[in-house]
Amino acid sequence: MDERRSDLKKIIMDTKTLPTLPGVINKLNSLSNDDKSSVQEMARIVSADQVLSARILRLANSPSYGFYRVSTISNAMILLGVNVVKSLALSSSIFEIMEKNSVGLWEHSLGTATAAGIIARKLALPEVEEITTAGLLHDIGKVIIGLKCAEQMPEIRRKIKLDDLFISDAERAVLDTDHAEVGGWLSKSWFLPDKLSEPIAFHHNVNSSEDHRIKTSVVHLADVLIKASGFGDSGDPYVPPIQQVAWDALKLNEALLHEMVVDLEDKLVEVKNFSLELANAAAV
Amino acid sequence: MQKIPLNLAAAEMVLARDIFKNDSPTGMPICGKGTVLSDSLISRLQQMGVQSLYVEGHPVWQEGDRCLSEQLAELEKRFSKTLDNRYNAVLLDIYRNHLTTAMGDNGGRTEE
Repeated sequence: MDERRSDLKKIIMDTKTLPTLPGVINKLNSLSNDDKSSVQEMARIVSADQVLSARILRLANSPSYGFYRVSTISNAMILLGVNVVKSLALSSSIFEIMEKNSVGLWEHSLGTATAAGIIARKLALPEVEEITTAGLLHDIGKVIIGLKCAEQMPEIRRKIKLDDLFISDAERAVLDTDHAEVGGWLSKSWFLPDKLSEPIAFHHNVNSSEDHRIKTSVVHLADVLIKASGFGDSGDPYVPPIQQVAWDALKLNEALLHEMVVDLEDKLVEVKNFSLELANAAAV
Repeated sequence: MQKIPLNLAAAEMVLARDIFKNDSPTGMPICGKGTVLSDSLISRLQQMGVQSLYVEGHPVWQEGDRCLSEQLAELEKRFSKTLDNRYNAVLLDIYRNHLTTAMGDNGGRTEE
């Protein structure tokens, strides 16, 4: 059994066909780990990517930061912080990979990111931006399984439907591994920081997280909330159980949970009735 | 609460969120949450270029919309595998109440 899993790991992690991260992220990563590099150097790298530059400037000029008319990338990077810029670069490239593959999963990921942001803000946690990115990436393993194990996908889907399984159980039954583990492998091969790879690898098993248990718990809960809400399609229709360790780590209670649901649904209304607007715009 | 395009708005609907100039939260507020819409107000909003607004309940029905009882049944099904988890049971209760409130008086109405 173990052999099958490691064979699969080889197939899945075959770097030649793995989606790669744009060079700008690798360069930013290596620069930001080097104490001697300056913001100006990083800004020069970012400036080479016009889409990313536009996004950064838009964010820096957004009212939530309270500054207006930030017109240079280096000022924007000082204002936003290098980590925010890095997660912005990461999430925009993940969007491209996901959008092409599955709209339902993309919605689920986007919804989880939204929920993770709401939970993190409600609990006044640090590094909201990183937590949101972790939410966005938490199911990246499903994209890889979809790409690399296309032949086994019908079997996985059949098992979910006929045996009423969670997608992770169906994946383990067919592949001997699941999307969380695959996501963990992938984040290693992408050299993502632990604060992203732990939530990706352990969002169904918070107990295994070591250094970033709070972030992992937030992503776990965000996944549960968005599935409870029925938004998007993550592969199976069932709400996963809220884990005791996550409940304790976030010091949750019923009133807090209630506020989070209200905030999340309030946000989702904007997205949910989009089809109504589209239909009407077409009719006018 | 429901987000609807302005041309589907009708008198007697109640605003669930403030309306801002240019639909931008940094714009000037035009009309407050809780306001009951009237025909003259709607035409004034049209003149001001408002595109969409949020109203209480679920007054506009379209194909594919599900009534409250259907939505509740789907909710129960989503939770069916994890009801023995006490936190999930709490969450189900929260969602049940939320759906019922969000759909408002029209909640029980079936699609026409």
